[in-house]
Order: sequence, then C-alpha cells, then structure tokens
Amino acid sequence: MTVWLIAAAALLLGLVPCGVVCFRGEPIERLVALEMAGIIDTLILLVLAQGFKQPAFYDLALVLALLSFAGGLVFARFLERWV
Amino acid sequence: MRTIAVAVLLMLGVGVELLACLGVMVMTSAYDRLHFTAPATTIGPLAIAAAVIIEESLSTAGVKAILIAGLLLVVNPVLTHATARAGGIRTHGDFMTLEDKEARP
Repeated sequence: MTVWLIAAAALLLGLVPCGVVCFRGEPIERLVALEMAGIIDTLILLVLAQGFKQPAFYDLALVLALLSFAGGLVFARFLERWV
Repeated sequence: MRTIAVAVLLMLGVGVELLACLGVMVMTSAYDRLHFTAPATTIGPLAIAAAVIIEESLSTAGVKAILIAGLLLVVNPVLTHATARAGGIRTHGDFMTLEDKEARP
C-alpha cells in the first residue's frame, strides 16, 4: 500500500461532499458540484496511474480532464435556456 | 528524502482538494461554491504533479502529469465563467450590462 494509493483513497472521500451537493440544491449548484467531482476524478486517475506504475494510464486522466471540461460547458449551455 | 518530499506534496495536494470539496458543500449559493474550484485546479494538481516529477523525473509519466495539471489550470477558468454566466442568465433572463440594456432601442 504505497503513499500514492493512500492518496487516491483519501481523494475518493472528496467525492462524498460533491455527491451531497449533486443531490440537493439548484441545478446550477449541482453543476458546480459535478465540475468539482470531475476535477477530483481526474486527480484520482492521475494518482492511481502513478501508484500502479503504469504510464499508459495517464492518458485516462488526460482524456477525463478534457471531457469533463466539455461536458461542463454543454451542461452550462443547456442550463441557460431550461429554467 | 525523496519519499518524504513526495509524501509531503501529496498530503498538500490531497488536503487542498478535500478542503475545496468541503467548501463546495458548506457554501450556500452557486457563485460561492464556484470559488472553490479555483484552488482545486491550481494548488492541488500542481502539488501532485510536482510529487510525480520528484519520483519519476521528466519521464513519460512526469511530462503527462505536467500536461494534466496545466490542462486543469487552463480550462477551469473558462468553465467557471460559463457556469456563472449560465446562472446569471437563469436569474436575470439575459447576460447584458445595464448600459447595454439602456442603449437597446
């Protein structure tokens, strides 16, 4: 159990507050929580890739960073119109 | 020595992320919550990327870690602005300044 895997487990705890906000609150507040969860997931994948010594897995974190950005923009765009 | 440096940087990065998540939960309005994505995409990723570089130096893993941290650093302000703009449009009906509204025929 290296320090990287401990860090990944600790980062997983960060998803709990994001989940709480995702289930409560206004649609915009849920979007903010979704964006924060996307950031946390990206860092979890990065830390796991280093923990398992697999440089190829870094691409997962890179793709997730890009796609969670694009997804956030699409949600923001739809939330502008759907009141 | 390197292991200690890696552990300290990881604790810093993970600590900042967990505090930012708590901030998102504790705050009351969407705009207040939005502020907490800033430290989560600046201090956290850079500390974790620094820990990777200390352990792997500038190998494939190190370069990709820098790329991911840099990407988060660059895209998050755009996402924050788009989200705040969407919130503004939802509450005020549009995203125009008062001058523009008065100048409108």
